[in-house]
Amino acid sequence: MRKCIKCGEKAQVYLPQHRLSLCKQHYLEWFDNRVEKTIKEFKMFNRKDKVLVAVSGGKDSLSLWKSLINLGYDADGFYINLGIGEYSQKSYELAKSFSEKVGKTLHVVSLYKEMVPIPEMRKYDSRPACSVCGTVKRYYMNKFAKENGYKIIATGHNLDDEAAVLFSNTLNWSVEYLKRQYPVLPEEDGFIRKVKPLCKISEKESAMYAVLSGIDYIEEECPFSEGATSIDYKMFLAQLEEKSPGTKLRFYSEFLRKMYPILKQSEEKPKLQPCKICGEPSTNEICAFCNLKMKISQKEAKA
Amino acid sequence: MEIKVRYRGEDKVLTFEKDKVKAKDILKALGLSKDYAFVVKNGEIVEENEPITQNDEVRVVNAISGGLL
Repeated sequence: MRKCIKCGEKAQVYLPQHRLSLCKQHYLEWFDNRVEKTIKEFKMFNRKDKVLVAVSGGKDSLSLWKSLINLGYDADGFYINLGIGEYSQKSYELAKSFSEKVGKTLHVVSLYKEMVPIPEMRKYDSRPACSVCGTVKRYYMNKFAKENGYKIIATGHNLDDEAAVLFSNTLNWSVEYLKRQYPVLPEEDGFIRKVKPLCKISEKESAMYAVLSGIDYIEEECPFSEGATSIDYKMFLAQLEEKSPGTKLRFYSEFLRKMYPILKQSEEKPKLQPCKICGEPSTNEICAFCNLKMKISQKEAKA
Repeated sequence: MEIKVRYRGEDKVLTFEKDKVKAKDILKALGLSKDYAFVVKNGEIVEENEPITQNDEVRVVNAISGGLL
């Protein structure tokens, strides 16, 4: 039986990459400390900032929200009802009940009211559902945060997400994406600062935190994410991790430490301008979101 | 031996040919790796060599999720 290195009680969690065995209480403490350390390492925000946590009802966003509250940050939640059938219904209920439990505000935007739900949007846009969904989420997150006085948007992207996207960008030598792969995207030209405080916490660590904190989260996968390439990359990295614990953390951390500073030197910032329709920042005259909205209204008019 | 497990919001029954089942056998039966999945027995996260019996309440958590990165 493994024992907690802090108190000698029975350990529930073993973290091979850190060579740590921890009981429930000390694991929860370890997690909160790691989140705090990451926030400080990348100068993400401080306790005076109003933080908006992008909440999906999944383990990562709810664990992040819980941890920020434990650490004494001023953090509210923001949920977008994507209109993906039972999946959205269930995830909304879980996000809502969590917000009530912790006594924090959950702001909600519904695509039923704002435009059309994601399944319908797919008829108007040939891109994969995840890309369309990403455009919509980024637009509403930024707009809502700005209009409601939030200085920071925190998302639940974890180490596995970051390592998988780094792997994909490296595999394709997507240099322009690599230049922007940093856990803090600064506030500029109409964009609110976006941060990823779980970037050094694995998906498993995040799930264990949710389970041990008694967080009820949606375990089912979004029906549109089935077969996503990101999962293949994660499975591949998991194989490496099993053979050599710490591989993912090393791959990502060393990229940030050694490669990112070199890439950043040659970064040419895209020229942003306010979208002619909605005024949100965009690299083109009309932003991706308004383009999508136009496609929808044009096709609806034809039908 | 049959073990009932809760996995991704659904109840499943796993059948094993042996009488002594461990947490790692459950992960294996579901095709999962310990790198991203774990077993919760009677409310506690357990290590891979933990014995599991028919009387235990078992939940399997697969932490991997996909979608847009």
